[in-house]
Amino acid sequence: MNSYSQYFTLIPKIAWRNIWRNKGRTFLVIGSVTLGIWSLIFLLGFVRGLINGYIDDAISHQTSHLQLHKPEFLIDKEIQYSIPESAILMSKLTAISQIRAVSARVLVNAMVSTAHGARGLQITGIDPAQESQVTGIADRIVEGSFFNAEAENEIVISRRIADKLKIGLRKKVVVTFQNTDYEITTAAFRVAGIFQSNNKMIDETMAYTRSQDLFALAGLPENSSHEIAVLLNDVDSTDVIHAAITTLAPDLTVRTFREISPDLDLFDSQIRINTLIMTVIIMLALIFGIINTMLMAVLERIRELGMLMAIGMTRIRVFLMIVWETVFVAVIGAPIGMFLGYLTVRSLQKTGIDLSMWAAGLEQFGMSTIVRPQLDLEVYVFISIAIVVTALLASIYPSLKAIRLKPVEALRKI
Amino acid sequence: MTNAMETIIKTHNLHKIYQETKVPVHALQGVSLEIHKGEFTAIVGPSGSGKSTLLNIIGGLDRPTEGNAWITGEDLSAMKENQLIEFRKNHIGFVFQSYNLIPVLTAYENVEFIMLLQHKSKAERKQRVTSLLDAVGLGDRLDNKPAELSGGQQQRVAVARALASKPTFILADEPTANLDSASTANLLDIMTRLNQEEHMTFVFSTHDQRVIDRARRVITLEDGKIVSDVKKVG
Repeated sequence: MNSYSQYFTLIPKIAWRNIWRNKGRTFLVIGSVTLGIWSLIFLLGFVRGLINGYIDDAISHQTSHLQLHKPEFLIDKEIQYSIPESAILMSKLTAISQIRAVSARVLVNAMVSTAHGARGLQITGIDPAQESQVTGIADRIVEGSFFNAEAENEIVISRRIADKLKIGLRKKVVVTFQNTDYEITTAAFRVAGIFQSNNKMIDETMAYTRSQDLFALAGLPENSSHEIAVLLNDVDSTDVIHAAITTLAPDLTVRTFREISPDLDLFDSQIRINTLIMTVIIMLALIFGIINTMLMAVLERIRELGMLMAIGMTRIRVFLMIVWETVFVAVIGAPIGMFLGYLTVRSLQKTGIDLSMWAAGLEQFGMSTIVRPQLDLEVYVFISIAIVVTALLASIYPSLKAIRLKPVEALRKI
Repeated sequence: MTNAMETIIKTHNLHKIYQETKVPVHALQGVSLEIHKGEFTAIVGPSGSGKSTLLNIIGGLDRPTEGNAWITGEDLSAMKENQLIEFRKNHIGFVFQSYNLIPVLTAYENVEFIMLLQHKSKAERKQRVTSLLDAVGLGDRLDNKPAELSGGQQQRVAVARALASKPTFILADEPTANLDSASTANLLDIMTRLNQEEHMTFVFSTHDQRVIDRARRVITLEDGKIVSDVKKVG
């Protein structure tokens, strides 16, 4: 056995036995590390769940994974900047296996008025069957239906707008907007359904009609659209499909949900910062507890350490013995805490945490009231590395304390 | 020149001054001595006479303020800290007053420990550890940890450990101070036998008359000076 291999055999063996000399103390450290890691995982899982819920909500109710527009439309949002023959492009898109659904939309900024008032809304002209596949709006109808078959000039508005305009189901509203010839056009629409999303902004600005009801009114050719929303099977394929669609439709601007809604990216980076800060705080709390414990462990066996150095154990070996002891007591609790944290996150992911008590506040931000905690594998790996680094950092001071002992003085201690 | 006259330990004009308080303590005041191979030497004297200081310097655990100490001709004061640790490991067997075994290791592992530090092969370790523990009468207690052994048994393990590294000599600081009469007699028997049969050199510091009676040479210190050095004949 050479001298270096002893650092990983003899020294850890003694260190491992040493930590069990004071079982109560060792279990106390293991317990605090377990609790620390568990709470860290739960907290990170909760925040990740909250943000992921927000991102998922945004994707499924607003942005989808990808959107296609005429480049000019993104600058001006003028009604004439439409994508002609959307149907042909749509059929090409649906042929891509990673694409789950597509929806072509006609977007019109209109004034919606009743006898009781008027509101400026964005009217989204859709094919109800297509739109239902892409966004969850059809599931958020609280009254009426998401368009009736065969009926014409129907509109779906939010509960909030319905209340403000003091109208109910089957009542008429007047929709006024500028057509492609810059002339004001007006038509009456009947309320077919009332929706309620959990996003105040959507509720206050959006209304839906069938796109076929808008073509003639707006002066747009049949089968044209302003926006094609693409929903994917897997968010991870966003960039690949983005590239594929860009090749397929070179004259259109294809944007990912991150480009459409930069706040999603902000949230995502916020989570990384949040993970780092919370991990540092918990690790700092642990580090002082571990240092304290290990310092006690060193100080109560000064004689023994002096004896070890007297009979020929080098300072580096003594140093490493204390490092190993610290790493052992600190690291044993980590997998336990991580496993418990994993179980907690997993079970809460299924059941969800109901935050409806604070629903009003969350709705302002478009956040769901049910949070499903979740945590990526990489965070577990990050925490594992963090705890090992913490243990190593915590071991430095007690180990230095141990090797600063002079054998002759240490042996005299009682 | 026979082996018996080979000088193992030599000191010249050792002085040690402790400056722990405002008044310096002159623990050793010019101690010069020579100890030869195979000697069974007791260093005696009242508390504060400098016994432990002398032993610490001979054992390479402390450095003199003035003067030199040589072990088998090697000047300890010329060695750096790490060289001293290596030197202690290979040349000096320590037996301490309060046994000082590693509590988490068994008797076998305690004796084996120093041989592991010396990178001895497994076969050599096994052969030597078992024969040493047999020699000190603990062949049946190999797997016991120190807490499971009596004080006398622990001190015998400590002697076996001190011998395990095949040291040049054994330095024992009041080895019988915590032992009862029977254990003391037993320990002294073992050490005397090792001295006589294997010519192992022993240097003790002691107050214990039973140890002094067995010693072949008694060096008496008072106020940091050697006041007598008696070699028994026969």
